[in-house]
Amino acid sequence: MTKEERLKKRHNAEKRFRFYGLLSVSLAVIFVLVLIQNIVSKGSSAFSRTTIAADISFNADLLEIEGPITKQSLEEAEFYDLAVESILKIYPSKDSKEERQVLRLFSPDYEYEIKRYLIKNPDKINQVASVELTSSDDVDQLNKGNFPRDLPEDRRRVSNFQLNIYDNLVEEGKIGKKFNDYFFSKGDSRDPELAGIGGSLMGSFFTIIICLILSFPIAIMASIYLEEFAPKNRITDFIEININNLAAVPSIVYGLLGLGILLSVMDFPRSTPLVAGITLSLMTLPRIIIPCRASLKAVPPSIREAALSVGASKFQTVFHHVVPLAMPGTLSGTIIGLAQALGETAPLILIGMVAFVVDIPGTPVDPSASLPVQVYLWSEQAERGFVEKTSATIMMLLGFLIVMNFIAVYLRQKFEKKWN
Amino acid sequence: MELNNSKIKIKSKNLNVYYGNKQALHNINLEINNKEVTALIGPSGCGKSTFIRCINRMNDTIDICKVDGSIEIDGKEVNDKNVDVVTLREKIGMVFQKPNPFPKSIYDNIAYGPTIHGIGEKKDEMDKIVETSLKKAALWDEVKDRLNEPGTGLSGGQQQRLCIARALSVNPEVILMDEPCSSLDPIATAKIEELIDDLKKSYTIVIVTHSMAQAVRVSQKTGFFHLGKIIEVDTTEKIFKNPANKMTQDYITGRFG
Repeated sequence: MTKEERLKKRHNAEKRFRFYGLLSVSLAVIFVLVLIQNIVSKGSSAFSRTTIAADISFNADLLEIEGPITKQSLEEAEFYDLAVESILKIYPSKDSKEERQVLRLFSPDYEYEIKRYLIKNPDKINQVASVELTSSDDVDQLNKGNFPRDLPEDRRRVSNFQLNIYDNLVEEGKIGKKFNDYFFSKGDSRDPELAGIGGSLMGSFFTIIICLILSFPIAIMASIYLEEFAPKNRITDFIEININNLAAVPSIVYGLLGLGILLSVMDFPRSTPLVAGITLSLMTLPRIIIPCRASLKAVPPSIREAALSVGASKFQTVFHHVVPLAMPGTLSGTIIGLAQALGETAPLILIGMVAFVVDIPGTPVDPSASLPVQVYLWSEQAERGFVEKTSATIMMLLGFLIVMNFIAVYLRQKFEKKWN
Repeated sequence: MELNNSKIKIKSKNLNVYYGNKQALHNINLEINNKEVTALIGPSGCGKSTFIRCINRMNDTIDICKVDGSIEIDGKEVNDKNVDVVTLREKIGMVFQKPNPFPKSIYDNIAYGPTIHGIGEKKDEMDKIVETSLKKAALWDEVKDRLNEPGTGLSGGQQQRLCIARALSVNPEVILMDEPCSSLDPIATAKIEELIDDLKKSYTIVIVTHSMAQAVRVSQKTGFFHLGKIIEVDTTEKIFKNPANKMTQDYITGRFG
């Protein structure tokens, strides 16, 4: 081979490598974009809900309140009759079958929405007021354009009669769109329009807090001890290898551990963030210890020597100099470990967090769902409303993960001290 | 005899050091005089640094390092189990090959040592300590207006003087310098050498150096190490003008090493 040929070959190899690199990067970017586009296009509509304005006549007689009307008495009053009577007025119906269809345009919660309205505006008693009621999932999807109207009636979830009322309501300007606060404030529900991530959000929050409280101090102490104080011998080598192995154990195994020990033997309350937090902290511990040790190791020995040489004890050297310098790496490792825990589903399913929980948990020992489990639960539902809610929940989860990772990067960049 | 003894600050007797199975120092017998500069010269890996790290027991931090034999400071055994290394290192400052200031402000770099030893608890006392230490290290005039800036932002030579000031801040009796000028330019080196000359009035200094010229300029006594053994120790003048050993002669004239 001549010199020219060799040179050409070398240049070509470089060009090929550049091309392959560019190709794989663009493929990765395309995949991410498609994924995000898919989730956002499916999920963004979940952030709004359709309302139907109905004229409600707050007839005090129908509430069957004895004595004066107070907040207390309104809370206890039965609003069903009043609600049904007013709602049926939005469209004349021939028989009870049609009446049922009219009522089905609204979410089953209309009774309580009307009640809440009156409690908020008590002066409206014995008057007629226009109240924006949440529509049923079917009307909601119709309004968002997710239901094809040209299908034959028997294949549609909305009958011709309902479609007719809907069109009338649109013409009268009574169909409205509101920010979907229910999605954030409510717990799970069988009705998509009333289902929210409030419960699973709190569940995830409690879980992560417990996971942080348990795993962070243990991981920090373990890594400081192993890295700075422990003698280097077979036992510590063995421990180190096993920490690395534990970090690679599939998360479902930790779920089994939680099920077998926490639930069966120790009889902790099932489906609770407490158990989830403990289980996930077992999983997270080695995943935090590894970056913590790496960041301790990255502190140059010259800093340790400097401290020791002015007469600092080993303890002072480690806690005055090494640990503060390793802190940014340690914190970002912890956050990334927690972000992994936040997205973990399999172990939570095993410890019973797949339960259908309507109430929003107030403490870590209340039964609860968590965000990823909520995604799993809703993805199994057939209703179109749950499809968009699944994607919206994924968006929220991804949002949290991105924010956590961003904080991790920020901490590292902001507080990382430069040494030479 | 009495007078002679008090002149000796550090005395090593049959000092052997092992790194695992490898013996790094063989039977080192060396006497270092009080308030004098002793230079240790020799090719790389000959054990000079290992020797000075034995004096303040920095080798304790290396797991595989084993020291046997004796080093005495003012007649007191350093390797004794009852000796507290913290107190020992308070008495023996050290300056390293590469400047290693803490990634903190200039002020905090100096104040750290006194703080952990409980000296200068009042703010004005500490200010005084910082000022005197920096003045002794001939750095005060250059940094007095920016004491709160990070020590790592200084130039290499200034950083090394900051490290010297840090060593001085706890009032040591001995200062060990492990090739303090090896990463500095000639101007910074000249400043450090000037400083060493000044410091020897109040401190006993042991300096490891690769520069023969530096040893001649700053030291009164020189020890030549080779392959973990001490070949020759004498006054600097004698070593460089009229060495007793052929190997010393070869080394200082640049024929090997």
